[in-house]
This record gives sequence, C-alpha cells and structure tokens, in this order.
Amino acid sequence: MNGPPPIEVRELRKVFRQAASGQSVVAIERLDLAIAPREVVAIVGQTGCGKSTLFDLMIGLEQPTAGSIVIGGKTPYGDFDHFRGQIATVFQQDRLLPWRSALENVQLPLELLGVAEDERRKRSLTWLARLGLANFANAYPRELSGGMRQRVAIARAFVLQPAILLADEAFGHLDEVTAAELRETFLALARESGSTAILITHQLEEAIAVGDRIVVLGKSAKLLADIHVERWSKSDHATLREAIQATLQGNERDARLNGR
Amino acid sequence: MSRQTVLSLVIFAAAWELLSHLAPTLGIPAFAIPSFVRIGQSLMTITPIDVVVTLARVIGALILSFGLGLLLATAMYRSHSLEGYLHPMIRLFMAVPVVSWILFAVLWFRGVEFRIAFVLIAVCGPVFLVDSLDAMRGVSRELRGMMRSFRPTTLQYFTKLMFPAILPNLLTSWKINLSLAIRVVTIAELVGAVTGIGHQLAVAQELFSVADVFAWTLVLVVLLFLLEAVVVRVEHRVLRWRA
Repeated sequence: MNGPPPIEVRELRKVFRQAASGQSVVAIERLDLAIAPREVVAIVGQTGCGKSTLFDLMIGLEQPTAGSIVIGGKTPYGDFDHFRGQIATVFQQDRLLPWRSALENVQLPLELLGVAEDERRKRSLTWLARLGLANFANAYPRELSGGMRQRVAIARAFVLQPAILLADEAFGHLDEVTAAELRETFLALARESGSTAILITHQLEEAIAVGDRIVVLGKSAKLLADIHVERWSKSDHATLREAIQATLQGNERDARLNGR
Repeated sequence: MSRQTVLSLVIFAAAWELLSHLAPTLGIPAFAIPSFVRIGQSLMTITPIDVVVTLARVIGALILSFGLGLLLATAMYRSHSLEGYLHPMIRLFMAVPVVSWILFAVLWFRGVEFRIAFVLIAVCGPVFLVDSLDAMRGVSRELRGMMRSFRPTTLQYFTKLMFPAILPNLLTSWKINLSLAIRVVTIAELVGAVTGIGHQLAVAQELFSVADVFAWTLVLVVLLFLLEAVVVRVEHRVLRWRA
C-alpha cells in the first residue's frame, strides 16, 4: 500500500429535504477540515449534530449539497469506484451478513475485489485469528456474542488493508469492558497498518483515548474545536474532558481550549 | 405425520367407504361415490406419462416465471420510472381470472404447450415479481449501506447481497406458486391439451367415472405434497444459517 492520501473537507454543506413535510434540514452548514495521512482523528459531537452524515459523505454514500471532500485529489462520491478497496468502514451495528459465516463475512470485501479464493481465505483467517476468533471462523453471526460480531466487523475492515478506516460509533453499543478492549485493538491495528483512521463518537472518553486529534462539532456540524491531544498531558485529560463537555453544551469553544 | 392427521384421514376414509356402500339405499347412483377398491383399480390404470407431462409443464413454467419475475423485479428495483410504468400493468395482470387467461391463450395461440406455458407464466410470474420486489425493498438500509461502502459492481450488489437476502421470501413464493401452478395447469390441460393430468380428468368426466377423477386428483395432491417437500428440503439446506 502507498501512503494514505490526505483528506480535505472544503466548505462542506449538506441539506436534506424531508420527504413528508418537504422542508429542508441543514445537516452540515459549512465545514472545513484537513486530515493528514496516518492521523487518528476522533470526531465528537452530540446526537443529531451531523456526524453520521459526515461519515456517509466521507465514504461516498451521500453527495454534498455544496463544497467537497477531496481525498488524494479525488472525491469519494464523484469518483466512487476509484476508492474500491481503499476505504473500509466499521459501523455502530456489526452489519454482518447473517447467511455468511464469520470467515465468509471477512472475505466479502476481498471477494468484491476479485482476490483469489486461497489468498482471501488465508488473509481472512489471519485477521480472524488476530482478533481472537480463530475457533469461530465457521460460526454464523447469530452464534456469536455482540462483541465477537463487532470483532468480525473489524476484521472485515482491516482485511482490506485500506488507506482510510472510518468507524461510526463502532463501540458505543457494547459493554464498557468489551468496548475498551476493542477500542485498544482497533487503535493498535490502525497504527500498525499505517491507515488514516477516523472515529466518529459521542463518547468523550473514547475520543480522548483514541484520537491524535479531537474534532468537536456543534449543531449542523459547526467546527467548535480542533484539539491536538499530544499537547495535553495525561494528568490534564480530566480538564480536557470538561472543556470539551463545556464546548458541546455551550455550542462554542471553551476558553480552556485556547492556546493549545 | 401427526396422530391427529392420521386419525382425521382414517375417519374421512371410513365415512367415504360407508357412504359408498349405503349410496344405492340412499338413492345415490353407485358410480357417484365409488368404493376404495374401485378407486384402487383406477389408480392402477394411472398413466405415468401424463403425470410426467404435467410435472414437466409445471416445473418448466415455474422456472421461466421465476426467472422473468426476478429479472423484472430487479429492473423495477433499480429504476423508479420503470416501476411506475410496470406496476399498474402487474396489478392488472393479477386481477385477471385464470379462466380469462385460458380463453385468451386458446384464442391467441395455436400450440398446446405454448398455451399452457402462457397461462402458467401469466398467473405465476406476477406473484414471483411482486414478492421479489417487496423483499428487495425490505432489505435493511444498514446492510445496503455496508455493501455499498465496499463499492461492489451492480452484479456483485445483487448476487452477494440482494438475492441471498431475499432467498427466504423467494422460497415462500415457490411454495405458493407450486400450489397455484398445480391447480392452474389442471384447468389449462382440461381445456386445450391431449396429454397430462388435466386431460385425463376431462376424459374421466366424459366417462362419468368418479373413481378415475378421485384417482387423478389423488395423484395431483400427492404430486403437490412431493414438490412442496422438495422445496422444504431445499429451504432447510440453504437457510440453515437461520436454524
């Protein structure tokens, strides 16, 4: 894999028209954001602030109303096929295909890329083993626990060795212990693979634990703060958490975030 | 087979047999309610070729109906404008009585096989189409989003996601259409064919042979049960992930 390309979000705007009322809803007002290759960025914001819309725009499932997302000179919506095998996603729910075994689910993206059967089986088994599921390769999703299913979903994303990894509230529905464990695994694998990783979350602890940077979004995805976590020592993380909390509640940048 | 099923069948058979013996004293012609011995004799005269012909017609037409129904459903799922044009037509097709289709077939086409196939496809095709389309629309937004995020080709999107996802509905459609096709093919053969179970039923009716009608009907029912059993077996095999 060549190095992952930079991601530039330029004056991004997304408006939805409600089918029932015909009214327009501004999901993203105007967002500018630059993400460097191999960065691990956590995007936080309250429910309904447009985080998931941003996620869909970044993977190319939605078209921007105005502005653009440019990844290495291409747009994920306009140049949809260009990003085959380059972007992988982990969703809030595992979204496994129930009629496929764990192994077959992990193989899915490789099948779509036309990777030979032996090769995709070998790679998929390796990733299942790395996520502690070597003995469950032939199990169907209904036979696995929530945490195990999410591990399969993570293996399905990493098996592609993608340039860009996107996770949307990927650990939010799991119990705290499993979520923390999976978060650490995800982070370690993302760093090892050299992918750019973007985590969308509403949990501040998760954002602080995972992100090199924390992007705080307010209503209509207004950029409230862009925080470089390494500028905060571990002992200041409680203050950082409070400052982000205050920023989200007041919908404006908290003074404690200034100067860092 | 459950105890209740066996018991109800035995009661029915006993009542029938009793009635067949009492028929003359009740003023009912003897041929109207034949005994099981007479029905057994009729069963011995069943011509396998007619069974095979009817079976081939049903299976052939169902495969064609399935292919056409699924193809059109896929096209309609992909194109809203196509769906807008075709949906009223499909509703119209489904409202047409079977007898009308048979009359149209007799008036429009010369070949017997073509007529029967036309009637079966006209009746069963829309069922496959509507069920497939509804099932495709029911595939969860989450799974569709996940699949699209991996950027499949259109063919991959349907073969890896949509068709496996709607398979349980397709198998249910097959069960419904098997029963429908068996009934429709009999009527179609009754009118226009010189072979098949429907034709043999017409012959039995001309000969006033209730025993023959009973025997051929029994064959039809057994045929339907056997075909349904095949579908159930396939269902168990391909849907074992649901067990």
